Amino acid sequence: MMSTTIAESRPILDLRKVSKSYPGVVALDNVDFTVHPNEMVGLVGENGAGKSTLMKILIGLVQPDSGTFMLRGQAAALKDPSDGARFGIGMVFQDGSLVPNLSIMENLFLCHEIGFRKFGFLSRRDMRTTAEGLLEHVKVHVSVETPIAAVTPAVRQMVEIARLLWLSRLYGQTNPILILDEPTTVLTEGERDTLFAILRDIKKEASIILISHRLQEIVENSDRIVIMKDGKNVSEIGAASAVITEIEQAMVGHAFSADRYREDEQGVPGDEVILKVDNLYKKGAFEPISFTIRKGEIVSLVGLVGSGKEEICRCLNGLERADRGAVILGGKKLVAGSPRDAVASGEGHIPIDRRSEGLALGMTVAENVNLLVLGRLKNVGLVSPARERKNAERWIDECRIKTPSSSTLCANLSGGNQQKTVIAKWLSSQVKLLVLDHPTRGVDVGAKDDIYKLIRNLAREGIGMLIMCDTLEEDIGLSNRMQVMKDGRLVKEVECPPKGKPSPRDIIGLIV
Amino acid sequence: MEAPRQENGADEQKNVLVRAGRVRIPTIFYAVGTLLVLVLLFALGNRNFLSFYNLNTIAYYAAILLVVGLGQMCTILIGAIDLSIGGLMSFVSVLFIVAVKAIGYWAFPLCILTGVLFGYVNGNILTRIRIPSFIATLGTGGIMTSFALLVSPLPVVAPADRYGILSIVNGSFLGIGNLLVLTALVFLFFYVVLRFTVLGKSIFYVGSNITMSWMSGIDIVKTRNFAYILSGVGASIAAIFLSCGQFGGDPTLGKVYILGSIAAVVVGGTALTGGTGGPVNTVIGGFVLSVMENGMNVVGVNAYFQQSILGAVIIISVFLTFDRSKVSMIK
Repeated sequence: MMSTTIAESRPILDLRKVSKSYPGVVALDNVDFTVHPNEMVGLVGENGAGKSTLMKILIGLVQPDSGTFMLRGQAAALKDPSDGARFGIGMVFQDGSLVPNLSIMENLFLCHEIGFRKFGFLSRRDMRTTAEGLLEHVKVHVSVETPIAAVTPAVRQMVEIARLLWLSRLYGQTNPILILDEPTTVLTEGERDTLFAILRDIKKEASIILISHRLQEIVENSDRIVIMKDGKNVSEIGAASAVITEIEQAMVGHAFSADRYREDEQGVPGDEVILKVDNLYKKGAFEPISFTIRKGEIVSLVGLVGSGKEEICRCLNGLERADRGAVILGGKKLVAGSPRDAVASGEGHIPIDRRSEGLALGMTVAENVNLLVLGRLKNVGLVSPARERKNAERWIDECRIKTPSSSTLCANLSGGNQQKTVIAKWLSSQVKLLVLDHPTRGVDVGAKDDIYKLIRNLAREGIGMLIMCDTLEEDIGLSNRMQVMKDGRLVKEVECPPKGKPSPRDIIGLIV
Repeated sequence: MEAPRQENGADEQKNVLVRAGRVRIPTIFYAVGTLLVLVLLFALGNRNFLSFYNLNTIAYYAAILLVVGLGQMCTILIGAIDLSIGGLMSFVSVLFIVAVKAIGYWAFPLCILTGVLFGYVNGNILTRIRIPSFIATLGTGGIMTSFALLVSPLPVVAPADRYGILSIVNGSFLGIGNLLVLTALVFLFFYVVLRFTVLGKSIFYVGSNITMSWMSGIDIVKTRNFAYILSGVGASIAAIFLSCGQFGGDPTLGKVYILGSIAAVVVGGTALTGGTGGPVNTVIGGFVLSVMENGMNVVGVNAYFQQSILGAVIIISVFLTFDRSKVSMIK
């Protein structure tokens, strides 16, 4: 019903045969892309498929080499993002584009405050009233004077959405086009539901382009799904008839393993206890907690954001200092608050944000891989370049890092390969325990499978792992055992044998 | 921060190719190219520019700049800066001559040790008291300038009977000045330390990403202290060379080397943001500046004009060598 009316209406945005190339690479190759009024379009594709180039063209950040760009029935040539705002099109970025130390109100109107001028000064009262109205519209109930740094990512996102809606109204545009780039990666389950409820509401007055790696939410929420691969739009399907496995197949070009988390490769952990957490306690973060991880065991820590699981991981790695209790790794008590001691004792850490915490982006793959083992690559007292190269190449091979050479800069790798580089770094140092903080975040489907495979191999080699995943399915699929946390307490331990995994529905009840 | 660059590899990979084509490999070539163009221009301007005598003059000037520049480079590689080298050089310059009078050859290790200790203090002000290096070293540099003047408010002259000691630097062997050999040794020392030792390589990791380094168990306090020690060593050796060459110490001689050393490092292609660059870059940067200084005199550029040409060359060299695409905000 809905889809027929959409198909008949005139598109609000119509791109025909748009191409864009950078020296050496064709980013977009004759791409057609349309958006109708009041439509939510899901855009999917692997990293590097051209999604973000397309979006940058839409908001005026990048200019296409050829093709036509029709916006609201007239040819548009956007020179920069402020042009985009004028045409009623804007983007909510992955990592936010708000100014953290300014208030919500100031962020809402940033650079466009001129309408609030009275006698040459800005009227704060008018701004406040308008801001409150805007927040009400996106169902955010926070004071407009709160600095952005003090609110959750979910609220920040809503502020960005409210700002875009307001801007289009300011420039007299109806039916603005909102682009949301991976909006749910930073949200908890509950916040995700709220976001989509609000988006459905906003859809009555706007069009939405949704980019996400989570196909489930794309299928559930969009009216139409556009799949991109290698700079071309390969297919378009109505959401009603969409099947996730088919989308995945169109994205990667080959069928995705039915056994998504390689559960058949899940082994039986050894008896030897590698990590013993003994009555660990941090005031305000988590209550005294005890658990163990055995050799080759994958333990997943699940719970909502704020349940204390992040703090536990940070304490295990020495990034934060617990108030009481002990972390015992391989029989040795770790020094609290010392990442050096944790690393020296054989504990590795795959951080959630690999770009700022996992890698030296401006350095080569080899330099990143060898960071922890330089001391072992010595020859007559000096680090030997030949041995460095050999070690790096060995681990590039073993972790299947796709890179032109070991001397390529890490910044030049795709997200998945960067993540593999971080894993390779820890593996080469022969860790006993690895803490994986959302290891597949922002990684495309193909590389995800490589990472699952790596995790299984590690378990087979006897490395104990503590894992926190993006989705509950991933947690359940990967782990031998789950520790469920709620409000700073371990509420339940759930066994996850390969045949007899609990269903996400059983677990979600424990979490919330 | 540049917001939209996070995970969507497409553009990133493309940017990189643009980058790779323009910067990754050629960084050093641009610097070398600039140097060759300058040499060619000056040689065309005056044939004597390439005479053995003049090349020697350039080498002597470059030697000092290189030694202090190599030290400065270490602090820049960790993303910091050392403005105190001027004060340190002035102090060591007079200390060396006073010490040569009193304890002879022991003046050499004494002065180098002074540089080590002073660098260690600088490092600790940054790493433990956590004062930004720009301010910390501005302060310690001022303190050292005063110390230099307290030791001797006027230039001190080395007594003639001590010239033998100074000839360690001033002498020559088989027609090659000792100063050049010693400078080569200093370069070799920095090269080996930064490329082939764990602590030296850590300087690059810390400069590239200090959070990651801390989380990976690198001792970020020790590494940064070490960078400042290297800077202190470079500056004190440069001061010794200068005092020997002038047969005396000057309590104000360091000032010009503060900005000179930073310019040499940056012109060579080491980014002020840290992590990229290296000793070879600094050598080329040092030579570019020295060739400029000398060449403009040789071809007879108006003295009032020289500073502005030098300034323009610094900007152009950094334009060619510094990979601005990697830095989201230029400050």
